[in-house]
Amino acid sequence: MSARDIFVVGLSHRTAPLELRERLAVPAEQLIEDLRALVATGAVDETVVISTCNRVEVYAATSDVTVGARAARHWLASRAKPDVLDAHLYERAGGDAVHHAFRVAASLDSMVLGEPQILGQVKEAFVAAEGAGTTGAMLTRCFQKAFAVAKRVRTETGIAAGSVSVSSIACELAAKVFGKLEGRRVLLVGAGEMAEAAAKHLRAEGARLVVLNRSLERAHALAKTYEGEARGFDDLAAELALADVVISSTASPTFVITREMMLSVIKARRHRLMLLVDIAVPRDIDPRVGDLENLFLYDVDQLESVSRGAVDARRKEADAAERIVHGEVAEFETWRKSLELTPTIIALRTRFREVVMAELSRTAPRLRSLSDEDRKSLERMGDAMVNKLLHQPLTELKKGVEADSGPQLLDAVRRLFDLDSSEPTAPPSASVKAVNVQSLSVPADAARVVAKRDT
Amino acid sequence: MIVTVTFLAAASLYALAGALYLVFAARGVETISTWATRLLGTAVVAHLAFLGADYAVAGNLPTADIRQMLAVTSLLIAIGYLGALRRYRLAVLGAFITPVTLLLFLGAGFQRNVAAVPDHVRSMLLPIHVGVNILGVVAFALAFAVALAYVIQERLLRKKQLGGLFQRLPPLDVLDSLAFRLVTIGFPLLTVGIVTGAIVAARIGGEEAALNPSRLTAMLAWLFFAGVLFLRVLAGFRGRRAAIGTMLGFLCAVFVLVGYVIRAEAM
Repeated sequence: MSARDIFVVGLSHRTAPLELRERLAVPAEQLIEDLRALVATGAVDETVVISTCNRVEVYAATSDVTVGARAARHWLASRAKPDVLDAHLYERAGGDAVHHAFRVAASLDSMVLGEPQILGQVKEAFVAAEGAGTTGAMLTRCFQKAFAVAKRVRTETGIAAGSVSVSSIACELAAKVFGKLEGRRVLLVGAGEMAEAAAKHLRAEGARLVVLNRSLERAHALAKTYEGEARGFDDLAAELALADVVISSTASPTFVITREMMLSVIKARRHRLMLLVDIAVPRDIDPRVGDLENLFLYDVDQLESVSRGAVDARRKEADAAERIVHGEVAEFETWRKSLELTPTIIALRTRFREVVMAELSRTAPRLRSLSDEDRKSLERMGDAMVNKLLHQPLTELKKGVEADSGPQLLDAVRRLFDLDSSEPTAPPSASVKAVNVQSLSVPADAARVVAKRDT
Repeated sequence: MIVTVTFLAAASLYALAGALYLVFAARGVETISTWATRLLGTAVVAHLAFLGADYAVAGNLPTADIRQMLAVTSLLIAIGYLGALRRYRLAVLGAFITPVTLLLFLGAGFQRNVAAVPDHVRSMLLPIHVGVNILGVVAFALAFAVALAYVIQERLLRKKQLGGLFQRLPPLDVLDSLAFRLVTIGFPLLTVGIVTGAIVAARIGGEEAALNPSRLTAMLAWLFFAGVLFLRVLAGFRGRRAAIGTMLGFLCAVFVLVGYVIRAEAM
């Protein structure tokens, strides 16, 4: 059996228009069911689906990428016409798939380079898959590493400087329409994570917030944090008439704000200027609303064109970030390749023999009567003990690898016996630390210094 | 001689300043806008020198004929804009205001032709008529530039072309209320100007002059500005259409002035 491999199939703002993305977006309540269905096909062993306004991607681990990718494509195609879809899909396998996952989490593939929301969204996607029971050793390691990489990129490069997110661009846009935002009334339709990010920015600019949400409880919570007011959906038209800026981010599958609604709202608000930002996918605001006089509507894709200018300065930082990602992918690949049986068996034997021989060479000098002959037979005895001790575990390991639990088992063994550490004789606690530090790619020497000082 | 020299100097300085403002609007280099403003200031000094020289030659107040009136109007627009620059970040507006200033100033360069004002027209009303019209045109010229900036900015925002020019133009709402304020200043002045003009015309006794094209265009300008003002108060009329109304009103006012220049030439 070949080692388990990772692949990703999906589309993003780079390859597909908003219309297609909103058709493919998976509602949160349906996600768990779909994840399980995907694993139930037998084509993939593990899977995580990321569905945000800018991307829908299926990550999966399988022993046969061709079959697995076909199943993933089939699942995606069940949500859109296949002939339209294929041109927009990309597919990566192995190290390239891991590379892609790391870049996505680190916000290097985001519409707004370096925006902070994507990491939370990837985490949510992973937690959902964990909840559905569709993650295993491979994807768990991959995504946990992706989170660590994202954190490193954030702290070690200036990519997040000034934090150009969709919400801050919405904020800038509002400033270009209204000048100072102080005292301006901002209506948040939907109280999700995006709305919260926008609330934070707008509040900092002095805007007055009104949060409108289906769940009043959530609206109240957000309103309280940012000194705003909470409203229910019944007040939508009345609030639209009062607001200067509207930021809509609900999960509604249909338009929340229609053209007919806005026609009467415009009269009620006496044609005052209004900026509407629709960051929801599928969209919340009928695009035809944007044709109305004194009213400006931006959807997610259009915000991108705004962000391009602001993002140019971050391109340099992105290079440094890409280097970090590159190094981490190489490390992950080394780990993934190690999840093959033979190297693990060799490493395990070596580790056990090292211990026996080390003890022997410590004890032998004290046994003065020991001849060379005796010493040799003691060594032989040590070897025999190692073989006997390892016989049962290795048989089980071989059996496990034949079955489905191979990667977990191999990973467990490598961790239990610390096979990935370069320092065989260090005490267990220290070597665990050494591994952790090394996984952040600090030079090995420095890692050892840290480890020794701790013990 | 000195009149011609100062006129040409002021005109070319206005042209240079306007060109630099245009370059600034397109490229956004701050030093260019600084230099444009310096040139505009120098143009104003040359303009003042021109008026002084003109006064020395003609010996009358610079409001006696339409040519001088244009010279004073364009000077006040430039000074008004320079004053506004000290308060607001409106350097991009220079690209719209300076050309307007230059055009009106060039109107002042036509053949000097002072029709001696007949004695029976000389009254307190004439300087009032000329004075309020000058101030009204200044307010409307500034409103025109601001409204033009609004229309451009609105279009950029709607087309989602948020490049350099968009970033340098002031916020829409600021432009909208600034244009509105300028129209509210200009409108009463224009109203008084039209009324006094009618009275003066009646005194001259030209019944036939009551419905000449100039007067009709002036009425049209008045209607545009009245529309912009009252529709805003009554129905909240604002934004792009209000800006276009403001621009049309100013263009009508310019036609009135052009009409005067043509008639002055014909005399």
